[in-house]
Amino acid sequence: MNPDDPIGMLAEIAASDQTWPAMAAKYGVDNDLPPWKTSLDGLTDALDHAACTEGTLTFKERRDDEDALAATHYRNLPYPENQLMALAHSLISRGVVDEDQLRERLAVIRARLES
Amino acid sequence: MSHDHDHGHDHDRTVKPMVDEITDFEVLEIALRELCIEKGLFTAEQHRHFTEFAENIGPTPAAQLVAKAWLDPEFKALALTDPITACKEVGVDWLAPTGFGTPSDFVALKILEDTATVHHVIVCALCSCYPRPLLGNSPEWYRTPNYRRRIVRWPRQVLSEFGLQLPAGVEVRVEDSNQKHRFMVMPMRPDGTDGWSEEQLAEILTRDCLIGVALPTPGVTTNVITATRPAANPI
Repeated sequence: MNPDDPIGMLAEIAASDQTWPAMAAKYGVDNDLPPWKTSLDGLTDALDHAACTEGTLTFKERRDDEDALAATHYRNLPYPENQLMALAHSLISRGVVDEDQLRERLAVIRARLES
Repeated sequence: MSHDHDHGHDHDRTVKPMVDEITDFEVLEIALRELCIEKGLFTAEQHRHFTEFAENIGPTPAAQLVAKAWLDPEFKALALTDPITACKEVGVDWLAPTGFGTPSDFVALKILEDTATVHHVIVCALCSCYPRPLLGNSPEWYRTPNYRRRIVRWPRQVLSEFGLQLPAGVEVRVEDSNQKHRFMVMPMRPDGTDGWSEEQLAEILTRDCLIGVALPTPGVTTNVITATRPAANPI
């Protein structure tokens, strides 16, 4: 898959109105960043740490993709939502994560968090 | 406990508001992480370690280091010649900042001393390399192609966009970080700080001063609260 190709499932998420500025305004919260941001940092660090493992993306690929995707497919999203979406896009387009598997997992996790 | 009684405090004001909604973004972050863990790329414990690192570090070690150097010429010499050892004196071990090593934070650190005629500013033109063990996570703008591309070409213009106007007689040196090298700026101690303690000096050594896009100024501290966004639900 070409890293530039759009990914429908991610486009749907990107179009949601749940970005952190919108959430913060809706609930009167003044944190600058969403609570999942440091976990995302942990995720990217852990991926970079694993970069020598076969079947993952390298640090440079991840950051280059992030720059390119944040300026194209996810240009309408604020930071760090654009960083998260770019990472998801990279992992799918480079074959690290399977799109269908991710779609199923999203439903499972949402059900778990709402239980 | 029942809350239908009359008492002297307002529950609406005793608890900070929080977002009571599960966003697709939150779910996506968890899903990606779980799938990577299941693929064997890293363990949940490793992820927790890295997240803890991201949450715990702040500007304090770097500010403390420069404040100490301003007060102690011997320590300053150490910071400039053997920064890794100097960092240990402010509690930062570059060999194991997270406790088990990080992929991109190597031990080739150089501290760049500003003088009356030379001002330093750091960047990572390639990606977003940054001295995180000392300075915490990089600010958003540091990661943008805008900053990375333009600071190396038009440093004075970019610095002026940060509100930093340097006299023509001051040379600007832009130091480009990379996968193996990290840099931090040691600004000049400003006037008006005579007799200050290390703690007082550390307060004015904000993150941006140590990147080089601002100068330390008495009265401007990391504790200054700036309005970054109008109140969402003004009371």
